[in-house]
Amino acid sequence: MSKSKSKTKTPSSPTLKDWEKQASRELKGKATSSIHWKTPEEIEIKPLYTAEDLEKLGYTETLSGFSPFTRGPRATMYAGRPWTIRQYAGFSTAEESNSFYRKNLAAGQKGLSVAFDLATHRGYDSDHKRVVGDVGKAGVAIDSVEDMKILFDQIPLDQMSVSMTMNGAVLPILAAYVVAAEEQGVIQEQLSGTIQNDILKEFMVRNTYIYPPAASMRIVGDIIEHTSAHMPRYNSVSISGYHIQEAGATAVQELAFTLGNGLEYVRTAINRGMTIDSFAPRLSFFFGVGMNFYMEIAKLRAARFLWANLIKQFNPKKEQSAMLRTHCQTSGWSLTEQDPFNNIVRTTIEALAATLGGTQSLHTNAFDEALGLPTETSARIALNTQLILQEEAGIPHVVDPFGGSYFMESLTSSLIKEATKLLDEIEKLGGMTKAVESGTPKQRIEAAAARRQALIDHGEEVIVGVNKYQVENAEPVEVREIDNSAVRNAQIRRLKKIKKNRDSNKVDTALNAISNAAENGEGNLLDLSIEAIRLRATVGEISAAMEKIWGRYNAPIHSISGVYANSFPDQKEIKQVRDEIKDFAKKAGRRPRIMVAKMGQDGHDRGAKVIATAFADLGFDVDIAPLFQTPEEVVKQAIENDVHVIGISSQAAGHKTLIKLLIEVLKKENSEDIVVVAGGVIPPQDYDFLKDLGVSCIFGPGTPIPGAAREVLVAIANKV
Amino acid sequence: MVQNKLPSKADIIKGNRRAIAKAITLLESTRPESFEHGQVLLESLLPLAGKALRIGITGVPGVGKSTFIEAIGLFLIKQGHRVAVLAVDPSSQLTGGSIMGDKTRMNELAQHPDAFIRPSPSSGILGGVARKTRETMLICEAAGYDVVIVETVGVGQSETMVDSMVDLFLLLMLPNAGDELQGLKKGVLELADLVVVNKSDGKQESLAKTAQSEYSKALHLLPSSKNSWTPQILRCSALEKRGMDKIWEAAKSFRETLRNSGEWEKQRRKQTGKWMWSLVEEGLLLKFRNHPNLQKQISELEKAVESGNMLPTTAATKLLDSWQTHSK
Ligand code: B12
Ligand SMILES: Nc1nc2c(ncn2[C@@H]2O[C@H](COP(=O)(O)OP(=O)(O)OP(=O)(O)O)[C@@H](O)[C@H]2O)c(=O)[nH]1
Ligand SMILES: [Mg+2]
Repeated sequence: MSKSKSKTKTPSSPTLKDWEKQASRELKGKATSSIHWKTPEEIEIKPLYTAEDLEKLGYTETLSGFSPFTRGPRATMYAGRPWTIRQYAGFSTAEESNSFYRKNLAAGQKGLSVAFDLATHRGYDSDHKRVVGDVGKAGVAIDSVEDMKILFDQIPLDQMSVSMTMNGAVLPILAAYVVAAEEQGVIQEQLSGTIQNDILKEFMVRNTYIYPPAASMRIVGDIIEHTSAHMPRYNSVSISGYHIQEAGATAVQELAFTLGNGLEYVRTAINRGMTIDSFAPRLSFFFGVGMNFYMEIAKLRAARFLWANLIKQFNPKKEQSAMLRTHCQTSGWSLTEQDPFNNIVRTTIEALAATLGGTQSLHTNAFDEALGLPTETSARIALNTQLILQEEAGIPHVVDPFGGSYFMESLTSSLIKEATKLLDEIEKLGGMTKAVESGTPKQRIEAAAARRQALIDHGEEVIVGVNKYQVENAEPVEVREIDNSAVRNAQIRRLKKIKKNRDSNKVDTALNAISNAAENGEGNLLDLSIEAIRLRATVGEISAAMEKIWGRYNAPIHSISGVYANSFPDQKEIKQVRDEIKDFAKKAGRRPRIMVAKMGQDGHDRGAKVIATAFADLGFDVDIAPLFQTPEEVVKQAIENDVHVIGISSQAAGHKTLIKLLIEVLKKENSEDIVVVAGGVIPPQDYDFLKDLGVSCIFGPGTPIPGAAREVLVAIANKV
Repeated sequence: MVQNKLPSKADIIKGNRRAIAKAITLLESTRPESFEHGQVLLESLLPLAGKALRIGITGVPGVGKSTFIEAIGLFLIKQGHRVAVLAVDPSSQLTGGSIMGDKTRMNELAQHPDAFIRPSPSSGILGGVARKTRETMLICEAAGYDVVIVETVGVGQSETMVDSMVDLFLLLMLPNAGDELQGLKKGVLELADLVVVNKSDGKQESLAKTAQSEYSKALHLLPSSKNSWTPQILRCSALEKRGMDKIWEAAKSFRETLRNSGEWEKQRRKQTGKWMWSLVEEGLLLKFRNHPNLQKQISELEKAVESGNMLPTTAATKLLDSWQTHSK
């Protein structure tokens, strides 16, 4: 067909008007606007897009490998080399994680990605009293360079690209990696990989910060400075939207907050006198990919476009400075405890979206995500999902296959528009650091999460196997269990040995140098940490050397109210629960009072916050306890506030150790009349254990909140 | 079960945390029987109360009240004091319950054995916040807390209410002077015995200094609420826990001065009088609302008024008339 011929329309060729008519007939007379779909981002999606839409946008074609990189950062994309399969993993001891890594590498994985336990994240050695429930549970325990050397045993660090999710204790951990490599005979210039080092989103959603914001930003700056001078193949920051999405954000929020954080890091480096081209090519990104298939593809395209434009203001000379490269992870939040094999399907769809969107590397979740850390089987299937996309489905052969699509280009453009609006708002507030300090981004994300929860609880948003098409008598699946006290004891033994064999005077001097540098603002803290790690200072000691000066930060917790109840589609159900609570209050002389608490270093607060706001909306008086409490601290506050119930929210597998302690303390304080309920990621295998301890109700992932509120009310009534 | 028995006077005096907490719950209760128990207990404890320094803290949302209480509370504990903190949320009636995160902002203080922090839910109509806070304060005093801090948001009428129960009224201000004076009701500034410019740290320190001198000027134009005391303007950083010593010095000198001038006693006596009246008001309202013969009429008339079928004045007159008839 010649070009001119395709443009002339024969009289019989249908127009958009004709389509409207026919569509309206199919809809039995209703206008087509009745089937427009409003996404959670409030973007309106039409059922049909045409060339007209592109014209309205003023769409012009771009090419992959060229600014603004909407179609991909590299010209050939996966046709030249497929995306890197990079599975995030880590648990128990360094030995166990090392053997897990080596198995995966043998099975086709290409890069490593280390998950640390929460004690390490928060800068505590395994022997610290605040981490009894956390050691080795939700990641691998690393206390010193000796652990790090075991972690990478027989893994050549000059060849393997290693990503490390570390933000709070980023200095000692990056230092330990550098020194472990050094002792393998690999110099810093040869190291390739990524350190997350994205502290701003920690204050917002991930909660593994240690120091106050300003001090934390200094650390980020020191790391950018060190790596740009000594580690040319190493990504100094992985600016992360993934956690923002997983905490409940919409795609627009994820885009704007992530890019906004990115801008802050750029400014931090520039304010130190660095040139944009000396570090920007080494900033990488990390996005989440959920079930909103088209939206997620558009999001990655929009992100690249937006970043390229945002970086322009710094006048880069190198193309790579404005080029957004990203890792992606499929959404863990979208995965269910119920009928868990469905999760394999969900993950496949999300992985497809990530690759159609042009990610550079990818992690796919295991189907037992909502139960615990992956088993060997579930991890293998997760990995195979990507191998099948790469090697069977033919995905890699074409660059940006959605490019030029009427719909995809329109959606990309809508996202760009909306994210820009939000970015402008952030800039008006004075940038993300200011915004984060004010707490507004977090509140907005929590509001989005509460809205979503209301829609799911009511069944308006369908989750197969959870609120529709449920299966009865589901077979239990195998769950990985980690014996944290065994891991902890092993770690403590190793710590003792290290401390015995090192030159303590030298270590003290090195630690003092770190404290001094923290205090007077001079020197590079990463350089100093590397020195201390060489001398066998521990992760906890280096963290404490700075904590001594800066203190340990508590991000202020704000709460929202009204969003859950107002978003709930059926007000009758809400009223019913409220009436029951009113009856209770009449009899008891006050509303039921619950303290929602989290124990240990587990920073997952989405569940706790949504429970708190929804329970309050339903009529409970709700106390929110600070994060990171010990059982003793929770009990003290519960007694003081004289609550009826302590509601423990636990996601990071500390429940068996910590709830046991909690109940012991309650007994000791003669306060067993306080009801204990628990919720979160608690595998059904553990229910009996907890019930035997005296836990009244247990609520797993997918629990509709109004029903849970009623059950808690009954549990209180039974106890009084 | 042993645990559900009423808190005893002896346990409260011993400072038993659980007993204090249970006693406060009785005072807050809308159940007549529990309320009665609470009142009896309170009466037995009254002779032991009254020895604390009572500090009211107010300021606009976000000025740093909770952070400040954390800082000054820890400072005071280090000086050997025992500190009770009552957080009052007088926000209007909600359809749902209250959501209280006060302890998250006073993390270290909340964990300290010498501190007692009790946030109170906003209770709707029955049992005014004022009564409950005042009575809770007395319980804490009887339990040996020698500094009682009452936090309230500086918008609306809450500060007048708090002022009627504390000895020292401390107003926290932000470093950006101009903007904030406008946001604050003039009346609030008049109540203040100490004005503290918070967030005097980092880049804001110089702003805070300017604010300090501007507030000094503004304050001189206003009548002071005490005869023997001229309000002082101070600066601090609650976040970095700096400036607490000076503030405490000022508070102590405030107490000395007022004690010497006799205003201290006078203020407390006046407050007690006010307390009686607020009890009368509240008691009447409670009796009125719970009167068995009025229940039906109340809900009927309420509906009629809400649906616009009757004027509120007419309904109120009817109710008051019936009340008079029935309470003869
Ligand atoms: C979202 C999420 C995150 C977000 C958290 C964002 C946030 N601010 O909360 C991000 C991405 C930051 C994150 C990070 C990590 N995560 Co995560 N995360 C999840 C995920 C996918 C969903 C949890 C969630 O929020 N669900 C939505 C909420 C609403 O549901 P919920 O918490 O279950 O609550 C519901 C019920 O359980 C119940 N409920 C819960 N609590 C309570 C309390 C009361 C009183 C009541 C009545 C009811 C109730 O009601 C709620 C409503 O239905 C889970 C896997 C999963 N699908 O569950 C992993 C998961 C919890 N994470 C895990 C891990 C390991 C981590 C990390 C430690 C990884 C690492 N090593 O770095 C980090 C560190 C986080 C930290 N600081 O602790 C593991 C924990 C492993 C385990 N238990 O053995 C899980 C299980 C994933 C996995 N299988 O590997 N995570
Ligand atoms: N820079 C700085 N920030 C502070 C200081 N004091 C408090 N803040 C910050 O200000 C914010 C609000 O502090 P809060 O203590 O919660 O304020 P509040 O007045 O109790 O707020 P509401 O209870 O919401 O009315 C938090 O982010 C604090 O970290 C200070 O001295 N300096
Ligand atoms: Mg406060």
